[in-house]
Amino acid sequence: MAGSAEAAASTSSRRTLARGPRRGLLAFLGRREVLPTVLIAPVLIFFIIWNTIPTLWLLGLSFYRFSLTSGRPPIYSGFYNFTSILNDSSTWFDLSRTFIFVVLAVGIETIAGVLLGLLFWGSERLPGRRVALTLLFAPMVVTPVAAGTFWRLIYDPTFGVLNWFIRSLGLPAVRFLSDANVAFGAVLAVDVWMWTPFMVLMMLAALASVPKAELEAAEIDRLTWFQRFRLVILYHGKFILMLGILLRTIDAFKTMDLIFDMTFGGPGTATQLIAISLFRSAFESFNMGSSSALAVVLLLISIAFTATFLYVLYLRERRTADA
Amino acid sequence: MSERVRESLYHALLWLVSLIFFAPVFWIALSSFKTAPQILAVPPLLFFRPTLANYARLLAEPAFQHHFFNSVALSVLAVLVAVAVSFLAAFAFSRFRPAATNFLMFLLLSIRMLPGSAAILPVYLMYVAFGWKDSFVGMTLFYAMFSIPFSVWILKGFIDGVSPRFDETGLVNGASWFSIITRLTLPQVFPGVVAALIFNFIFVWNEFLFNYIIGGINTSNIPVMLATGLSNGGGIDWTFLSSLTTVYILPPILMVYFFQRYLLVGMTFGTVRGEV
Repeated sequence: MAGSAEAAASTSSRRTLARGPRRGLLAFLGRREVLPTVLIAPVLIFFIIWNTIPTLWLLGLSFYRFSLTSGRPPIYSGFYNFTSILNDSSTWFDLSRTFIFVVLAVGIETIAGVLLGLLFWGSERLPGRRVALTLLFAPMVVTPVAAGTFWRLIYDPTFGVLNWFIRSLGLPAVRFLSDANVAFGAVLAVDVWMWTPFMVLMMLAALASVPKAELEAAEIDRLTWFQRFRLVILYHGKFILMLGILLRTIDAFKTMDLIFDMTFGGPGTATQLIAISLFRSAFESFNMGSSSALAVVLLLISIAFTATFLYVLYLRERRTADA
Repeated sequence: MSERVRESLYHALLWLVSLIFFAPVFWIALSSFKTAPQILAVPPLLFFRPTLANYARLLAEPAFQHHFFNSVALSVLAVLVAVAVSFLAAFAFSRFRPAATNFLMFLLLSIRMLPGSAAILPVYLMYVAFGWKDSFVGMTLFYAMFSIPFSVWILKGFIDGVSPRFDETGLVNGASWFSIITRLTLPQVFPGVVAALIFNFIFVWNEFLFNYIIGGINTSNIPVMLATGLSNGGGIDWTFLSSLTTVYILPPILMVYFFQRYLLVGMTFGTVRGEV
């Protein structure tokens, strides 16, 4: 019984694979001029409904004075929103705080990632390698909000494990997340913990792209470690490393969930990155007009980042094609 | 002999580094087996009599069941929709290279590069105007939209790697485009499909902000539950929070273990291929 059904299924599948010319709607949709449009259509529909329309909405609204709480209809105000957010010193403080955060986070993660990547380079014969790498890469897939939660436990001034270490060294307890001088560093440290593994991953990929023969040649030529790193490893691995740095830069610029749960931009504005300040103005003050203008500014910044990323990507592809 | 000693020392160092990175996760997992006074004990306890009471309480909690169900349903449905739709588009982008391919790929990527609060603001305005806020379908489709860029990028990379000769051979032998897509191409890019499914799942699973803004009581997932109000009469309810966190971060970590060969492709939008 089951055998005959199987046989029937296999003949019918053979028939569909080798079907003659067909007529009707399916044949029309399968024509070479039409097919690409048909295939892309679902994605385009998603894209238009959830991206194009909202973005146009956002662009439009950025030229209006509109607050959700006032109950008054939007009033056209030209470039007022843009000039007011760009003249507002707090926007620039938040942007420069974000800039410092991104530079420090990405810088530390890259240096640590390169060093740890070199360390893990020869790890093929490590016993339990897969488990070890899972443990190493775990931080980057942990739910950011959850990470914020357990770092709050670790950072706690009274029963946190970190302060216990500090106190056992005879030093006074540190209020990591509520002391304005420390909070920024504390949040940065969590970001470094979370994303250094990503740079390790990218460094391992970069190292894997280095041809073995050239490394052996470098060894025979008695190049120093630093020369081997600069002339052989960086020469071949720089594109992958660059893509990693760019992805990390874009992601660090977006940092939100982690901070939301740990400090929510506080104390004061010590950890208020631009994503948090936009959240506050949009979803706490419901000041939709000026929030839209800020969102448009961030959109332009992101487009610049994306363009840079693609530029490096195509540069790499072109060079791989030439080689 | 000294060579072997050196190698063991090296391996011990690698394990030590891995364990240091995992230590914070281990700490919350350890705390989830403690009673409330044990969590708040000074000095912190490393050895104690473990209790499963927190987990019993967590699993019996209706709010947990509700949010957990939402987390699972949203991630699975959104990702399935996104990958199905993206696969077709990626095939078209790879094979037919329509006029605006590069521009569309660029636009798709730029959605994912935008800070979350800027991406969600216009969608929030639209959802409020249309009355789609806190609707399960609205939430799923939005997550699907947000998973599409990543999936198209990853799948296009994989389809580019399959020779178009397979299509030509299929066409010559009278196969329809439908069979070429589903039965000649799909099996060959299966790893890409798996990578797209896994990494989009992890993204939606971990996502908090969008759900918090355009979701509501019907659609909120565990991250929203974690970030909003879990205090228990003034203090934070650490026993509940630690078991909840542990349960929730386990699936992504297991996925890293089981799908480690896709990790690189998954973390770089498919732009860097290879294994670690």
